Amino acid sequence: MLISTQWLARHVDLEGISPEELASELTLKTAEVEGLERFAEHLDQVVVGHVESRIAHPDADKLAICTVNVGKEEPLQIVCGAPNVDAGQNVAVAQVGTVLPGNFKIKKAKIRGVESRGMICSVRELELGEDHDGIWVLPEGLSAGESVSSALGLVDWVIEIDNKSLTHRPDLWGHRGIAAEVAAIFGRELKPLETSLPATGSGAGVEVSIEDPACTRYMGLCVDNVRVEASPQWLQLLLLAVGQRPLDLLVDISNFVMLDLGQPNHLFDLAELSAGVKVRMAVDGEEITTLDEEVRGLSPQDLLICSGNTPVALAGVMGGGASKVAEGTTSLLLEVASFDATTIRRTATRVGLRTESSARFEKSLDPCLVPKAAAHLVRTLQSIQPEVSLPAPATDVGDWSDPALTVELSGDRVRELLGVDLDDEDIISKLSALGFCIERDGTMMKVAVPSHRATKDITRAEDLVEEVGRLYGYDQIPGKRLIAEVAPPAKDARQLLVRKIQDRLAGGACFSEALCYSFQPDELLERLGVADEPRVRVVNPVAEGESSVRRSVVPSLLGRIELNRRHRDEVRLFEVGKGYLPEHTDERGQPREVHEAGLVLAARRDKSAAYNAGSRSRLQGVIEDLLRALGAYDSAPLTWRVAGEDDSIPGWANPGRSQVLVCGEGEDQRALCFLADLDPGRARPLGLVEELSSDVAAAWISLDVILSLPKASSSYRPLPKFPGAKVDVALALPLDVSCAGAEFELQRSGKGLVASMELFDVYEGTNVASGQRSLAWHLVLEAKDRTLDEGDVQKFLGRVERAAERLGGALRRES
Amino acid sequence: MRERLESLRIDALRRVGEATGVEDLRAVEKDFLGKEGAVAEILGLIPTLAPMERREAGQGANQLKTTLLEAIAAAKAALEEAEVAAQRDAGGFDPTLQAAAAKRGGLHPITQVRRDVESIFTSMGYEILDGPEVELDYYNFQALNIPVDHPSREMQDTFYCDEDHTLVMRTQTSPVQIRAMERMTPPFRVIVPGRVFRNEEQDATHEHTFHQIEGLVVGEGIQVGHLTWTLKRFLNELFGRELEVRLRPGYFPFVEPGFELDVRCPFCETGCRVCSGSTWVEFCGCGLVHPNVLAAGFGEREDVDHEKLTGFAFGFGLDRLVMLRFGIDDIRNLMGGDLRFLEQFPC
Repeated sequence: MLISTQWLARHVDLEGISPEELASELTLKTAEVEGLERFAEHLDQVVVGHVESRIAHPDADKLAICTVNVGKEEPLQIVCGAPNVDAGQNVAVAQVGTVLPGNFKIKKAKIRGVESRGMICSVRELELGEDHDGIWVLPEGLSAGESVSSALGLVDWVIEIDNKSLTHRPDLWGHRGIAAEVAAIFGRELKPLETSLPATGSGAGVEVSIEDPACTRYMGLCVDNVRVEASPQWLQLLLLAVGQRPLDLLVDISNFVMLDLGQPNHLFDLAELSAGVKVRMAVDGEEITTLDEEVRGLSPQDLLICSGNTPVALAGVMGGGASKVAEGTTSLLLEVASFDATTIRRTATRVGLRTESSARFEKSLDPCLVPKAAAHLVRTLQSIQPEVSLPAPATDVGDWSDPALTVELSGDRVRELLGVDLDDEDIISKLSALGFCIERDGTMMKVAVPSHRATKDITRAEDLVEEVGRLYGYDQIPGKRLIAEVAPPAKDARQLLVRKIQDRLAGGACFSEALCYSFQPDELLERLGVADEPRVRVVNPVAEGESSVRRSVVPSLLGRIELNRRHRDEVRLFEVGKGYLPEHTDERGQPREVHEAGLVLAARRDKSAAYNAGSRSRLQGVIEDLLRALGAYDSAPLTWRVAGEDDSIPGWANPGRSQVLVCGEGEDQRALCFLADLDPGRARPLGLVEELSSDVAAAWISLDVILSLPKASSSYRPLPKFPGAKVDVALALPLDVSCAGAEFELQRSGKGLVASMELFDVYEGTNVASGQRSLAWHLVLEAKDRTLDEGDVQKFLGRVERAAERLGGALRRES
Repeated sequence: MRERLESLRIDALRRVGEATGVEDLRAVEKDFLGKEGAVAEILGLIPTLAPMERREAGQGANQLKTTLLEAIAAAKAALEEAEVAAQRDAGGFDPTLQAAAAKRGGLHPITQVRRDVESIFTSMGYEILDGPEVELDYYNFQALNIPVDHPSREMQDTFYCDEDHTLVMRTQTSPVQIRAMERMTPPFRVIVPGRVFRNEEQDATHEHTFHQIEGLVVGEGIQVGHLTWTLKRFLNELFGRELEVRLRPGYFPFVEPGFELDVRCPFCETGCRVCSGSTWVEFCGCGLVHPNVLAAGFGEREDVDHEKLTGFAFGFGLDRLVMLRFGIDDIRNLMGGDLRFLEQFPC
């Protein structure tokens, strides 16, 4: 909201208070000031000129040559094209060198052969209005050469206040409300304002019927002998200062009262309301054309002002097109009303029309302000057009009540919360300055809250503590050490787990942590083949097709591969984040939250690489290392198995290359991790073709499952006392024997001697029977009680050989 | 025999002298001292010699063996030393040749700053809490003294997850205040880091998804001064220097009185771009916990008398701190997942 200091000065004496000080004190004590600017600063450069003579231009019909005294020895010769320029006038002159709004610099010029040294300005050229029919004629009695701003007393500062910080203060949506704050802050008097209606005639007033309680008060007042004309300059300048375009006196004065007292109001052509005023809810399918010439469809929740049954205004939001006052009109109906805040807010939101009026009504305006605003409007109008009269008493109807209330406050509560040493007298004086009336009752104070503060804002003692505190100055409250029990704060296992995962992946594994949006675009989900999964959806997304809330972080990471592969041969990304499963919604309506670490690894394809150099194998290594570091292997037996139909393999995964790490057994078996190659059919949709063709693997690890594992016991094993024997074993085995299966047999054959096992080769081809592959390991055999010799190794190999044969393969001896 | 030994000695030492590598020395050792070497041969002849000569031959052979072993050891040491010297001065040294690239990984800058913030608060005895991102309207608004149709809902452009607005993308981390009150026993101090959502147009300074840190302290006798003291200590720690803070009025329905806390610009003395020339930087919204919020959070608890309690709460944005620390000019980079961005913050 914009506040003009000139306007404020109508309500409170600002003598000796600089605009900067004013802005700073308002920020510290009332509401955030976002900007402070001089209004029409360029008028400092524009001077008053006295037109001494005007003669026709010899070579142009529409131009005149003027001699203009600008307070210097020599008058200026200025060529002017305005029809209304004449000798004897005071005018606004922009001299050579002056820069007008729009970076328009005045230069010496020759116009049709005649020299011109400056410009006589119109109102529009000075950005003071729309009028461009002629030059701006200034009042008489000004001295030539003085700047226009000082000659007209036009030194106005505009303070911009953050609307958000006024959300709870309906009383601050007008200059008088701000002026009351200024008066309290600086210890000055708020100037009195006449708020009683002038005498009215005894004619019949307008009939008003309220059919819905959403209109709490309606005052209709007939106003006669009005002329529609331009507003006086003071009014236009005040409106311009706060960014309002002056139109005509009636529109301007309506705006003026709204911006002055914060009470929206409306002036109707009385003839338009000949059938009497009815306030009612709209019916389904009803429409109204608002002043901005838009047709608005209405619902039964929208309140209407009607003439008879014909809508003339969308209550509290905007007048109807027909409600414009036509030129020549002399009889008006002034409407000042109170409406239910929620009704107005909903209508404004629903029809997408947030106006100055609706912004005020939705803050819960004081119904007691209604007659005051009506009186203020009429009296201001009469000060401009004294012949204006009121033929009939006001019609004032509605089921409203005075919101004023009394709140009990103890001085101790103030001191307790603010922690400052204010005695009761200080508290009372601060509250009084802000317009509260206090009656003491022992140690308690009965604080009467005036109606304009009581609609929503002040309802309890703590609200008054705020009033005292801010006027005292929050910045004056000293800091105070917080003294509390010394104990280590509880640590959340989940937070610690997240940290460990992040550190391990970002550290040893050299993955970069990404943070991706919780929303996943539909087109990405379609490209990944996961669009059919159930998802929480926002009903008002930022953009069409971005309403899906993620179930898993993996699709987001997959969506980032192409971008990164353009610049990197290898992409390693992870995110620890949350997903939501609407198919598991609890009784309160909250979807199940899953917490997971997502990983993707994408590298250039390399067909010649070793069996374990592919992305999935490498990612598996990273995952196993991570889980080892987290102690997961010590807490529960974890085994990889081929993912099957029960594992709900996501659309992005190659179903033939999907694996699940499971913990627990039987019914309790749960997937701790899912790992797969990207489905080859997804490469093209993801843009991973040609030079970006990539070997992509992705995985998720469930934090929830890790957290559910039993606490691991120590996994320490004493160091061997006797040296072990190293032996390499190569087995040729049928392709359907898994590596894990073979390793299980090796362990069994070792009878407890196998201390470590490292696969180092996988081979199919020459020297290996078709349908078989060769797997080779480095093994270390160790015994706890003796040094192993060649005989032990040979016995072991013998058992391995028999085991291999049982599996349909053979031990490969060095040839 | 003496001549023979002498000739062997000369021959062997010559070969040691001529050796250019360890292999040559091994060959000398084998030829002269091996099982079938020259010395062994002589020792084999000894039984055939006259008794007088036997002793001389035995001693001579042994002496030859010792001499040879010493010579070989010396030559070996010299060769190794030469090799080491050669390695030291390999020539062609250029330290500016690009190093073999180590793989890079790292934590997101949000995570880095979040951890800094967390460790300051945990050092002050705060517990770190977590809460759901898809949240019930009750926790996000109603329990926080923001009833349905409260005008302040306009301030926060909420993403709603269903038509009847019971489920929202949380607009703030404040709902966890209520969740904390429901299960924790005062006095307590907690912070809640997390992502929040507002339906805003994105540009260089606005995001629809960003990160907040909420703080909540509940106990008896908590006052405004405790709030300023706490945030001042935190900011001093975070920026590593003494910084002034100030409170001014601010409106948030879940606190009363409510404040905005400003901090003296950590980047200038006289005004800069960060503080728009004012030397103050808006840091966070805060205030004393509204009695209605204490009632909503503790109301069901028979073990807690919320009327005796007061508290303070604050909430600030993490993204802006990250942008200030690293000089990031476009907030959209944070959620962009671009390695060219992420790799700029190795840690």
